[in-house]
Amino acid sequence: MLIYLVGAPVLGCLLAGWDRRISARMQSRRGPPILQPFYDVLKLWQKENLVVRRSQNFYIFFFFLLVIFTGALFFAGSDLLLVIFALTLAAIFFVLGACKASSPYSFVGAQRELIQMMAYEPMILLTAIGMYMVTRSFYVNEIANHPTLLVLALPGIFLGFLYTLEIKFRKSPFDLSSSHHAHQELVRGMTTEFSGRALALIEIAHWYENVFLLGWVYLFFASSPLLGVTVSLLVFGFVILVDNVFARLKWQTALQSAWVVAAVLGFGNILVLSWLRHP
Amino acid sequence: MNGIKQSPWIIHYDASSCNGCDIETLACLTPLFDVERLGVLNTGNPKHADIFLVTGAVNEQSQAVIRNIYHQLPEPKVVVAVGICAASGGIFRECYNISGGVDSVIPVDVYVPGCAARPEAIIDGVVKAIGVLEEKHREMKAIANSLDQVLFHRATKSDAPEILALQKIAYQSEAELYGDDSLPALQQTLEDLVNDFERMPQREGTVLGARGAQDSSVADSDRIIFLKAVVNGKIIGSIRGYAMDGTAYLSRLNVHPYFRRRGIGRRLLDEIEQVFPQVNRFETKTGHQSKRNLYQLAKRGYETFKTEPYTPTIKWVYLQKTQRPAQVKTKGVK
Repeated sequence: MLIYLVGAPVLGCLLAGWDRRISARMQSRRGPPILQPFYDVLKLWQKENLVVRRSQNFYIFFFFLLVIFTGALFFAGSDLLLVIFALTLAAIFFVLGACKASSPYSFVGAQRELIQMMAYEPMILLTAIGMYMVTRSFYVNEIANHPTLLVLALPGIFLGFLYTLEIKFRKSPFDLSSSHHAHQELVRGMTTEFSGRALALIEIAHWYENVFLLGWVYLFFASSPLLGVTVSLLVFGFVILVDNVFARLKWQTALQSAWVVAAVLGFGNILVLSWLRHP
Repeated sequence: MNGIKQSPWIIHYDASSCNGCDIETLACLTPLFDVERLGVLNTGNPKHADIFLVTGAVNEQSQAVIRNIYHQLPEPKVVVAVGICAASGGIFRECYNISGGVDSVIPVDVYVPGCAARPEAIIDGVVKAIGVLEEKHREMKAIANSLDQVLFHRATKSDAPEILALQKIAYQSEAELYGDDSLPALQQTLEDLVNDFERMPQREGTVLGARGAQDSSVADSDRIIFLKAVVNGKIIGSIRGYAMDGTAYLSRLNVHPYFRRRGIGRRLLDEIEQVFPQVNRFETKTGHQSKRNLYQLAKRGYETFKTEPYTPTIKWVYLQKTQRPAQVKTKGVK
């Protein structure tokens, strides 16, 4: 737990730094130093905090708190369903914060974030259900101690989960609600109206969130820790690659494709699994 | 290492250029120059940016946009004028719709020469801007730590340029409030301000006028008083007062945006009331929408006695205070 609270932002920061460096190399640029995200947050912390309404930062603070809470539950080996619930609640607070700013850009960003949540939520639930079917437990510590490689029984769910990861990491083709790239149609989407410390909190929350999500990827390979860590990092690399290769999708396509993936890969996997168990 | 230096985020705005400088600015982001290696990001969102990069001369339509973007940048912020048009208007200077360089609208910190400015020059300008940014940040921090060391002195003519610069920065928030940059305080020239040190203001609508000048029992130097608030040798606030016929007319209370809401304006007001022992009435005016000013003045015992339209958007509110402030503090102004 303590390791998570202290270590996750450090690891998340390094991951974000690698992300920018690798992205730059993919575009044949030199790229910023690995610690760049850390410098950014440090700077944002010292900037003036401009707000439209003071309460918008209140919501962001709870978003930050709940993201940490989600990860803490996960790494404490708690109930996976509770983790999903906390994750959703965190995202809702972010949406509320963006709505509160009442700027058209952040408002549209918030709407799109809600659509994205609708897109990834079924697949994430199916992932929890699939893990339960294999291990007969929703508890993360029991899933992690399961003797078999979960991915062997859940290949479809793993692929479907990868798809939702693209959404959760806010990467192309799913960076609809807010993007790190400049000059998009929504300015900065949800984060448009946040500056200074609020923006820094959002960044740090993303670091926590990314580490938590990669922790979940690790769960698929938990019986072989070395493989798990390797695959988690490979998945992160894959997400960066996809980010650089694809253009952004329309929200309709994003929603439809996410549900199709959830239905075919996720639900299909569970169907096959239950048929094998109880023929 | 404080992050300020390593992570300058930029917002780029094209005021009305031939696009040469814009293309060169964007060229800085390409693999050849790659400013991201310095941590520079092109944000496209003023609320995330530290450096405001403007290209092209300013025309009537882009003025409001520039001012709007400038106000949305959180402090500390730096303005870089890229190219000769942004610096002075360039070859468009004489055009009927051009008001000149960027500094005709907002304070500019760094000028990048060239037509079009080369990417190397732009990167150099951004690096200079990082230095200014750091300097501003250090000032902000030093100020936060040394507010009890604010000195209040009488200002002299030699302070005029610094007071004018302060006035232009301080009145930006008023211009934003009224959506109007024709406020007299923003239009004032240095020459005019220097004259203010010697000249009694001509006021319409008040009983004074030529009669005030006949009151020769008091030396001129005691009737026109400029005060300055100084931190670390820099003027961060000022006020001026003119005493005529038992009334002191106070005007142009300026406090630098970094130092607002720390009681400096209040102290300037207290101090200037103390340096006019011969008067028993104080008069001042402010815009009708400047709620903060009105609130603070009301708190110091000022009462509204007259309002008067100035422009369609601005109404002057005249306030007066008739009792002498209690003579508690004698320290302060030297």
